[in-house]
Parts: sequence; C-alpha cells; structure tokens
Amino acid sequence: MASASAVDVGRLPLRQRSLARSLRGDLKGGEYTWALAFLVPYVAVFVAFVAYPVVYGLWMGSEASLYRELFADPIYQSSAVNTVLYLALGVNVKMFLALLLSGFFMRPGWWMKALLLIFVLPWAVPQISTFISIHWMLNGEWGFLNNVLWKLFHIEGPHWLNERWMALGAVIVSHIWKWTPFWTLILLAGRMAIPLEIRDTARVDGATGVRGFVYITFPLLANLYLICTLLSTIFLLGDFNAVTFVSGGGPANTTHVLATLGIRDAFEIAHPRLGVAAVMSALPLVIPLVIVLMRRLRTAEVQL
Amino acid sequence: MLRGSLAVAAAYPFTVPHVAKAAATTASVWFSQGFVQDEDVSLRKAVADYEKASGNKIELSITPFAPERQKIIAALTSGVVPDVMSNNPAEILQIYAWQDRWVDVSDVVETQKSQFSETALVAARGYNNVTKKVGVYGVPVRAAVVPCHIWRPLVEKAGFKIEDIPKTWDAYFDFFKKVQDNLRKQGERKVYGLGFQVTANGVDPYNLFMAFLLAHGGKDIVTRDGKLHLDDPKVKEAAIKAAGYLGGAYRDGYVPPSAINWNDADDNNAFHAKLMVMDVDGTLSTEVAVKEKHPDWYFKDMVSHGIGYPTDNAGKTVPSIVGITQWMIPKGAKNVTVAKEFLKYFSQPKVVGEFVELGLGRWLPVMPSLAKSPFWQDPKDPHLKGYVQQGLLGPTVPDYYVFNLAMAEVRSQHVWSMAMIDVAKDGAKPEAAIDKAFKRIEEIFAKYKVA
Repeated sequence: MASASAVDVGRLPLRQRSLARSLRGDLKGGEYTWALAFLVPYVAVFVAFVAYPVVYGLWMGSEASLYRELFADPIYQSSAVNTVLYLALGVNVKMFLALLLSGFFMRPGWWMKALLLIFVLPWAVPQISTFISIHWMLNGEWGFLNNVLWKLFHIEGPHWLNERWMALGAVIVSHIWKWTPFWTLILLAGRMAIPLEIRDTARVDGATGVRGFVYITFPLLANLYLICTLLSTIFLLGDFNAVTFVSGGGPANTTHVLATLGIRDAFEIAHPRLGVAAVMSALPLVIPLVIVLMRRLRTAEVQL
Repeated sequence: MLRGSLAVAAAYPFTVPHVAKAAATTASVWFSQGFVQDEDVSLRKAVADYEKASGNKIELSITPFAPERQKIIAALTSGVVPDVMSNNPAEILQIYAWQDRWVDVSDVVETQKSQFSETALVAARGYNNVTKKVGVYGVPVRAAVVPCHIWRPLVEKAGFKIEDIPKTWDAYFDFFKKVQDNLRKQGERKVYGLGFQVTANGVDPYNLFMAFLLAHGGKDIVTRDGKLHLDDPKVKEAAIKAAGYLGGAYRDGYVPPSAINWNDADDNNAFHAKLMVMDVDGTLSTEVAVKEKHPDWYFKDMVSHGIGYPTDNAGKTVPSIVGITQWMIPKGAKNVTVAKEFLKYFSQPKVVGEFVELGLGRWLPVMPSLAKSPFWQDPKDPHLKGYVQQGLLGPTVPDYYVFNLAMAEVRSQHVWSMAMIDVAKDGAKPEAAIDKAFKRIEEIFAKYKVA
C-alpha cells in the first residue's frame, strides 16, 4: 500500500469538510437534524409517487418482445397515426384560436367580462360528463344534433361516430371545445402583462391593428405561446378522456390513440405490460418535448 | 416533534400483535356491482350471514363492472391482492391459471361437487402452464346465458302476434325484418328489427357470434381437449353463415347504425328506448332493470326467449354457452384459511340459491337442484322459468376459453367482431371475412401450446 503524503492527508478532511458544508449550508447542530426531518416526507412522497411509478413503468415496458408484438398489431399502427393527428390538429388549432380569442377578450366593457364568464364554462364543467353528453348528442338515431337537423330542415344527419375520420374529428373538436377557454385565459393573462407604455409607444409609431399584433404583441407573447403549446402537447399525449367517452375508440378500434390503446391492452386484453409498452412508445416524442420545454423555461431573453 | 415521531415509530412493534390477530379472522373479498341494487343487497346479506355464523370478518368491496376489471388486473400485476375475488372478466380465471397465480380450491369445490352442474365444474378449471396440469381454481357462484328479448307492442303494432314468431333459427330472425318493414310502412322512422351488437367493444359481440356459430353447426371449433378445428368444413361453413347473417342484417339496414360502436350497456339502453324490436343479450338484465319502475313492461310488454326458441334450422335444440361467475383465491392472499371457509359457506345450496334469487334472478344458479325452487318455477313470472331452463336444465356448454385460453384472446381481440364489421360496413364477402378471421385465430392459438 502506498503511503499518503502529508499534503494528501491534509486534503481529504478538507474535501469532506467542503462537502459537509455544501450539504449543511450555514445550519448548525440541531438545525441540520430538523432540516433533514422536514425534508424526509417530501423525499418519501417523491420516491413513492414520482420515482417509483416511473421506474416501475420503465421496467414493465422494458422487454423488446413487447414492442415486436405491439408493432405487429394493426390497431397500434392506426393508433399511432391518430395520435399524431390528434396532437397536430388538437393542439395547434386550439392554441391558435386561444391566441385570437385572447385578443378579443382584451376589449373593455362589462359585457366582455360577462361573455368571458360564459366562454370559460366548457372548461369549468367536469370533462367526463360533458364528453358523455357529446357522445349522446352525436348518436345517429336519437342524438340531439340529428334530431335538430330533422326537425328544422328535414335532413337525415350522418352517423357521426360510425366512420373513422368523422369520429376522430368529433374527438378533436370536443377536445378543442373543452380546452380552448383554459389556454385563452393563460394567453389573456400574458397579453395583460404587456406594459401599456409599450403598446402606446407602438401606437404612436403607427403599429396599430395587425401591425401592432405582428410587431409588438406576438413577439412578446411568443415564448409564452411556445411553452403553452409544448405543455398542451405533453398533456394531450397522456389524455384519454376525449377518445374514451366521445368515440370509445370505435368504430372497430379505429380511433384509438396511444393512451387509450394502452388502457385497452392492459385491461381489456389483460396484458398490462403490453399496455405500458403502448404508452412508452410515445417516449421518443415526449423526451425531446420536455427537453425543449425546459430549455425555453430557462431562457434568459426578456419575454413574457 | 422529532422526538414525538420517534416515539410513535418505537411504539409500532407493540401495535403489530393486534393487527395480526385481526388478520387471522378477517378476509377481504372483491365482487362486481350489480346491474340492479337488489344484487348488491343480496351479496351484503350473504356476507353478513357468514360473519354472524362464523365470527369472522369480511371486508367486502363492491365495485362497478368495468373499474373492477381494472382493479383486479392491477392487483394481480402489482401482487397486492385481496383474499377472494371474482372472475371479472370471466376469462381471467384461465388467463392467470396459465401463469400459476391462483390457489387450488378443489377442496372447496369438493364439498358441493355433486350439486354443481357439469358445465360449472368444467368452467372452474384452468390449465397451469407452470405445473403443466389442469387445476381447479374457481368456485362457481352464478351463471348467465344469452336469451332473446322482444317488445310485444312493437310486434303487435306491425300486425303480428308473438305466437307468429317462427321457431327455427333463420326464420326466427327473418321475422323481425318483416316487423321492421311493416313498422316503416306505418311511418316509424327509427325502429329497427334486430339489436345485433355488430361492434368491437365489450363481450356482447363475441357472445352473439358464438350463439350463431353454434346454431349453424360450428360447436366443434375447439374441442374439450383444447384443439382448434378450423379445418373442419362444418365449422367454416357455420362461421361464414354467422358472419354473413349478422353483418348482412346490419348492411341491409335491419340493425341500428350506431350498433357498430355500441358498448355492453348500449344495446340495453337502445332496447329500453324501443330503438329495436328485439335484442340478443346476456342475462335477464334487460328485464330486471325495469321490473320495479315499469312492472307492466316486465310482466306484459317484454318477452324473453331462450331454450328451444329458436332451434337450429333443422329443428334441433341449440346448446347455450354459459358464462360462469367464479370465486378465486389469488396466490399472495393473506388469509387463505378464512377465504376458503367463506367460500365453503357461500357454496352451500341454500346460501348461493338465496343469493341469486334475492338478486331478482338476473343471474342463474349453478346447481340444477336450485332450478326447482318456487322462485324459478313461478307461473306468474314470464321470464324466469324459461331462463333457468335455457341456462341450467337444457343443454349447455361452457365458454370455449375454458378448453383453450387462446379463445379468451380471440374474444378480447374481437376477431369475430372484425369479421362481422368487414361484412357489415366494408362490403366484404363473408367467406373473405372468415378467411381473415381464421388466419388471426391461428396466430393467436400458436401462442398457447397446451402440453
């Protein structure tokens, strides 16, 4: 064994001391023990409800054979296409509408506040019951929509949920209807945070109407808009309520998305690992989204 | 505060004997919620009677059908299981028997072996792919078959009487097409003749297709030795006829268009809304659900047909496929002793008979001797006698996943549904739809090699 020099012997305690200092900060004696005691419940909750489920999920979906079985399933292929369409249309149409509507609700007047109150109702009411209502409204034989068409115009309405693209369209529209108010409120708050002086100065310089939106408002909202879009995409990837309760994944399993396919495989086919694999197959999309989101949240640029 | 927490932690060992003592006489039991409240009341009564008789405690958890299915699979996946659970979904007994996840309950079944129907006893078994043996893992509780449900007023409005309905299979169902045609002539825009579940959701479409398969001579699709017989011409012909009739009725406009996206309860709701003249649906839930609120419907307007009505096209009785609800004890259960005691108590004819009767007879008993009770033979009741005849006294077979687990996947993957939908919606020829279905069934069976 090599003998340590006097310098080495001196360095070791110094390193230990600096590590202890960085852990303890300026806490002394009993304070440090108390700090640890307060920390333990949070760490325990994090490990039990965040770390463990994630690691358990990764473990359940870790076998390569699961993915071979999954990719061979024709329902998986259509579900992957549906997921991409659901995200691309659902998120972007919703966010664009929210951006426009947030400008509309910036108008002054009591009636605008009253209208805003009515506008947020779809978001405020419980989503499962509203999606079930939509499912019934769209029923081809006795649904509200086709009955109205018949009573008013003597038109036989289509069977909205019997064709893949119409049923998927119904799901996407339901999602947009449900969540546009929420993102409108977020963007409205963003618009209201733009200092009046900036808008007044721009107006003096001739940047009004569309020019004001293009050169002043949107650049200032761009970061918020992007973050909202990323968050909405991540939320929507894991959402199964709209599909489950509006189309039920039908007709003939043609409107499933990955989240509902995972539930189907886990509990209807009674193959939980395959269900986890279905959801896990979205990770190549989720991870880059989360990375971009984190980078945008850390941005140093002066934006809202 | 910290000292207080440490004191609580230090005191923990002293609390253990009390918990252990409680566990020795306590068993947790999971069961699915009934379609009518009386079913839950009857279960609670049976459990309370057991607690009184034994001094043991049962922690009963009643959960709605669909969530219970998820709860059971989650429990078996995580390993945190109750002491007793029921087979929801029905094929779960065979699925997890394959993985050696159940406690053998042959000693419990043995106590009433002479009482149980043969079909119930066969359905209690499952192939264990670890031991490579068939074991008894279920204790039969109740049973169900698929009767036909008919609205008398709609038949009469179309100018017919219930007695006019032919007895043989194809003529029987063709009759309701004529009823629809006549109703349409009278301006009924939205009434359909047949409530076929031509959908890829739930268990109804599989049950419907299998009833048609058996009626057309395809009963040997899987034999009791677990072997698949898709090469049998009779089986293929029966499957083609079933897909052709069911898909064709939808294609020709005799089935509500929304049926293509129905879930299990949707056909019940559509029938109650008089969207169709008749429905083919498992259990008497259609009738008992309205018994209290609309007794006139139950006693007068609704007609249920079971055994011998219809017969096959040659006039022979078609055996009914019986789904059996079973109790199981999962491996990892904390109190197998109390669980088995409870199941022995519950399996007594008096107890299990009262359980199904108090549940209004939606479910059938699993012991032929119980079919003779005044409840099932009540001449004033228009449904029960025929129902018990169909599902208990007449010729029955267990569902085919009992013989080979692969059929459970055929059911959950909705292979038959896709064949019906191919004909109904995409205009495929029944032969082509069945060729595609058979190819998929062969792929599924290849995964389940029985020693």
